[in-house]
Amino acid sequence: MSNLALLVQDVLEEPKLIDWEWLRENFWEDIVPAFQGHIFLSFVSVAIALLIALPVGVISSRYRKAYPPVTFVTGILYSIPSLALFAILISIPGVAIGPAPVIIALVAYSLLILIRNTVAGIDSVPPETIDAARGMGLTNRQILFRVELPLALPIIVAGIRIATVTIIGIATIGAYINGGGLGTLIFDGINRQFPTMIIAGAVLATAMAIAADLLLLGLERYLRPWARARRT
Amino acid sequence: MIEFRQVSKTYPGSDNPVVTDLSFEVLEGEICVLVGPSGCGKTTTMRMVNRLIEITEGEILIDGEPNTAISGTQLRRKIGYAIQQIGLFPHRTIADNIGTVPHLLGWDKGRIRDRVDDLLELVGLSPGEYRDRYPAELSGGQQQRVGVARALAADPPIMLMDEPFGAVDPITRERLQDEFLRIQEDIKKTIVFVTHDIDEAIKMGNKIAILKQGGVLAQYDTPENILSRPDSEFVSSFVGADRVLKRLSLTRVGEMDLEQADGGTEGLPRISDRMTARAALSELLGSGQSSAVVEMEGENKLLTFEAIEALTSTAEQSA
Repeated sequence: MSNLALLVQDVLEEPKLIDWEWLRENFWEDIVPAFQGHIFLSFVSVAIALLIALPVGVISSRYRKAYPPVTFVTGILYSIPSLALFAILISIPGVAIGPAPVIIALVAYSLLILIRNTVAGIDSVPPETIDAARGMGLTNRQILFRVELPLALPIIVAGIRIATVTIIGIATIGAYINGGGLGTLIFDGINRQFPTMIIAGAVLATAMAIAADLLLLGLERYLRPWARARRT
Repeated sequence: MIEFRQVSKTYPGSDNPVVTDLSFEVLEGEICVLVGPSGCGKTTTMRMVNRLIEITEGEILIDGEPNTAISGTQLRRKIGYAIQQIGLFPHRTIADNIGTVPHLLGWDKGRIRDRVDDLLELVGLSPGEYRDRYPAELSGGQQQRVGVARALAADPPIMLMDEPFGAVDPITRERLQDEFLRIQEDIKKTIVFVTHDIDEAIKMGNKIAILKQGGVLAQYDTPENILSRPDSEFVSSFVGADRVLKRLSLTRVGEMDLEQADGGTEGLPRISDRMTARAALSELLGSGQSSAVVEMEGENKLLTFEAIEALTSTAEQSA
């Protein structure tokens, strides 16, 4: 009993885990910019990654021979430890520390998931649906945009959700090379041995990941009215 | 009219053609059924008409023009296409599905909507109830109806149908076949119809093309002639040992020449004049009686074994 009481007392008397005073005072100056910076890093990275992954995925699903090398290269990118990748990127001449190398790294990380899900999504379209489309005189382009991509959407969005959650997590490490974002709070907190900053950064990053996931889920439901209709 | 002229198809890297030197004509407004065992090239033959598969040798003429005169996609928009797996777009409503080809052809919205409603009526689905539903909400039979409506959408003179009633239970299939034959009486499309089922071929076809392995035409004729005068061992074995019975299914009791029944008909089974002679024979055998009563144009007529037998022999003579 007394041991436990001592321990509780210890924790309470340590520098406070959450210093509400500090949070209030630095809300606009530190926390909000870090949060905005994190949204920026994550959003831009996912957007760029999608711009690359969708066409590459479509091409890979058409020219099957291209798919293994694509997954090989993106698989290697995916497996490099993030800290190492940041270090490698800033050692490249012309790449300064800051948001740019962070975004490059985050894009590199999400390519594998996004490309794989694009291909899997297109593969999931029933062959008879495509046969009927072709038999009615849709062109290849119309089949892609009106049939294959809409039907691949749930699997593509599932990939975007995983990629986004992953990116929001990894983006915190970007602060190590001055990328900005919530990682700034976490690294500062570690350096100053000030837990409030670490917790604020971690909690906000987690909340952002969960919110982004739910938003994307909602978006996917909205874009797929036919999934709500079920056999009566 | 569709005319096959010495059409052959060989896939690259293969020595054996899947369709060999095929020549026949499908007349305006007729249903031509391509039938044969699996691997006989019947689906390939059908798909060469709208160039989903390109011909290796020979040509297919549509109303005298080679089907290569226009691009494949332009050609396909002019030819109705219905397949066994239906292939409805799961992400489009029933109305959008049916309106696919009219939309591609640039019809205006009002015209498409009217056409969709007409077609839903035609295939027996209430437009108000089904127009805005998604395919997953419909039963298999309803989906096949929509598949047929979609193939008819732009009122193409030619239709290709690959086992369009294949994915439903036998009772529904029978009903869909009857309905389609009723529709065809009005719309008079030129149809290439693929099936592996000889009974469906006999029922649906004005002409039947029996194909054997390698896409070789074994016989091309009316159902009556195929049943009464099979050209070869292959055809007679394909149509089956019960071909005499199958011929009976081509005639309805109401079309038979029957004697007047004068009294003494109590206890005899009663048979509808809509029944096929084959079904009537089965009824008669099952009843244990030697004759049955048919009510035709307000009169009672007598259906006997002799009358049915006469039917098979007249068919033989006329053949």
